[in-house]
Amino acid sequence: MKSKNARGHSAGAFKALSAAALAIPGIVSQVQAAAPVAEAELDYKASAYREADIEGSKLAAGSASRYEIDTHQLRFISPLGRASDLAVDLSYETMSGASPWFIMPGTGGGKPVQVMSGASIEEERKDIQTSIGHYFSQKVSAKVLLGFSTENDYQAVNMGVEASIEIPARELTVTAGIGFSDDEIEPTDPGMPDRIDSATRTSTTAFVAIAQVLNNRTAVQGGLTLVNNDGYLSDPYKKVWREDLSNTVADKRPNERQQVIASARLRHYVPSLRGALHVDYRFFDDDWDVSSHTVDLAWYQNIGDNWQLTPSLRYYGQSQAYFYGPFFYSARDDGYASSDYRLSPYGALSFRLRLERNWGEFSANFEWESYRAAANLAPDDVSVENPGLVEFDILSLGLNFHL
Amino acid sequence: MADIQLFLFPFTAMASPCELRLYAHSQGVAEQTAEAAIAEINRIEVKYSRYREDSVLSAINRAAGGDALAIDSETFALLKYADSAYQESGGLFDISSGVLRRAWNFKSGEVPSKSDIAALLSVLGWPKVELSEGEVRLSRRGMELDFGGFGKEYAVDAAARVCAELGIHHGLIDLGGDIRVLGPHPDGSAWQIGIRDPLQPNKAKLVLPLKSGALASSGDYERCMVVAGKRYSHILDPRSGWPVQNTFRSLSVVAPLCLLAGTAATVGLLKGAQSAPAWLSELGMPHYWIDAGGVDGGDLAALRP
Repeated sequence: MKSKNARGHSAGAFKALSAAALAIPGIVSQVQAAAPVAEAELDYKASAYREADIEGSKLAAGSASRYEIDTHQLRFISPLGRASDLAVDLSYETMSGASPWFIMPGTGGGKPVQVMSGASIEEERKDIQTSIGHYFSQKVSAKVLLGFSTENDYQAVNMGVEASIEIPARELTVTAGIGFSDDEIEPTDPGMPDRIDSATRTSTTAFVAIAQVLNNRTAVQGGLTLVNNDGYLSDPYKKVWREDLSNTVADKRPNERQQVIASARLRHYVPSLRGALHVDYRFFDDDWDVSSHTVDLAWYQNIGDNWQLTPSLRYYGQSQAYFYGPFFYSARDDGYASSDYRLSPYGALSFRLRLERNWGEFSANFEWESYRAAANLAPDDVSVENPGLVEFDILSLGLNFHL
Repeated sequence: MADIQLFLFPFTAMASPCELRLYAHSQGVAEQTAEAAIAEINRIEVKYSRYREDSVLSAINRAAGGDALAIDSETFALLKYADSAYQESGGLFDISSGVLRRAWNFKSGEVPSKSDIAALLSVLGWPKVELSEGEVRLSRRGMELDFGGFGKEYAVDAAARVCAELGIHHGLIDLGGDIRVLGPHPDGSAWQIGIRDPLQPNKAKLVLPLKSGALASSGDYERCMVVAGKRYSHILDPRSGWPVQNTFRSLSVVAPLCLLAGTAATVGLLKGAQSAPAWLSELGMPHYWIDAGGVDGGDLAALRP
């Protein structure tokens, strides 16, 4: 019995000493060698997205209650043999509420007002995304992705491949990939006179990203993405008010949209504060004249051994699409027209707070996000604000299990 | 790509003969890696040298008895390791024990007085070191830390990390007998590492095949001091301040990290010939010892030719 105790103590001693040794920065590589995930993990996240009711002064007709989305997400990752890994993401969303339909000029020179869709929409969306990664060596890995998404009125298939190469001598990782998606839209109520029966669109994406470790506290990443969208890019549920007709016409957008996205990220760890600063910047530009800037600042603060608190702030600002107007006096020469607030000039601020508690094999997190969009947050002066701009909160709860 | 070849880089660091043996596809890659690994070893030597005024260690020692000193994350982690080793060894591994050298001069052939040792014990002892997140304070004036007991082993592991980061997966790092294997020969065969008797350095007592992990040795490399018929070894017990009775002349230990092997060898030597073998076996660390009389043993002794 005595020797058994002694052995138990010695094993503990070896473990304690090894743990202390492995905590020394010089011993363990800060460079992440490319490797498949080591153990299976299961994540679950439930979120409640709630848009604020549209203000009475901005509402012309329809329901003031806007969108609500409840989401359940399940993510499973697992090693697959020695040199591969697998990730499966399932998501189930239920959506309800009214959405912006078209905008009418204000009476007597007042601000334009929003007409909302009358009946409350009830929809659900199911989505599955899978990927398999294979690690040819510690430096070279590749991934294939396949996904499928379905809604009452919408189906999409997407696929992609990516490859990643690490250059350890320069602490550099280069990742590049291409993706393709094919969407089919079949509006639920085709009986309405100018609503399409069905339409398709495709999207092709190519990206390259370079990540560089500057030192054991700082890493940077830069990326460039090109997207080409082709097909029916209008919104079948939105309309545009025409003064000359005193009536609405269908939302109509070009059949092609080419987008360029440039991004830069900084990660900096501050040991004395046991926290890390994340700075993300994204620039977006397309041939519809929409260009936008996103700046995201987050501070990851470790508290004690098991807690992490992350406040973050994001700014987004965009210019309008060339064929956007809250409403139109007459038809444009090119025939395009949209009053969608997502193509209007605006800016948005969102604040997030995330708290995570770790119990070793299990962790849980709680997150709150509050988002507000407004024309006066746009990078340029905006004379007429789109009354459909949104304000929302998201509450979510996440659970993570190491299997 | 050219065939993989072995490149040897002998150099001197930490007052010891050192060598890197690296397999690479080109001389350029091997040289670049050796340069980076040696730079890392030199960085650690300069940072933690007792002999350099500008070292981090000298700054810590100079502040003894004064205010707490802010330290970087590497130094903090090394001191946390020393703390862990002190706790797990029952106080035998103590990086504040270097002050005993002030009293013990083995060349002089004189045994210090009991009062000299008692005076030194008041400025010795890891519990007198106050370590908190990012800060250290030696609470008594005259206290001194010494990284001699684990700095070289740490440098071996750090150099191994640098080599691995630069893509070398077959090779070996040897800093004065503290060894870490980066990986076997490219054909998968083990490195053959000779363990010598410190008093008969010309021939290997045994040859240890090692494909991964580390080997470190600790020993009493001088003949013991004999005063008035009593034998005094050079291995000083930090708890009493007096030489350890009946310990090995040399003890070699195999572990996944050189730092762990070195710590186990140091502690084993202080535990002495009676209790060290059982302790090492319980830790699951393969070992080999040679005692004061030249008799050898330990579980690795089975590899003797």
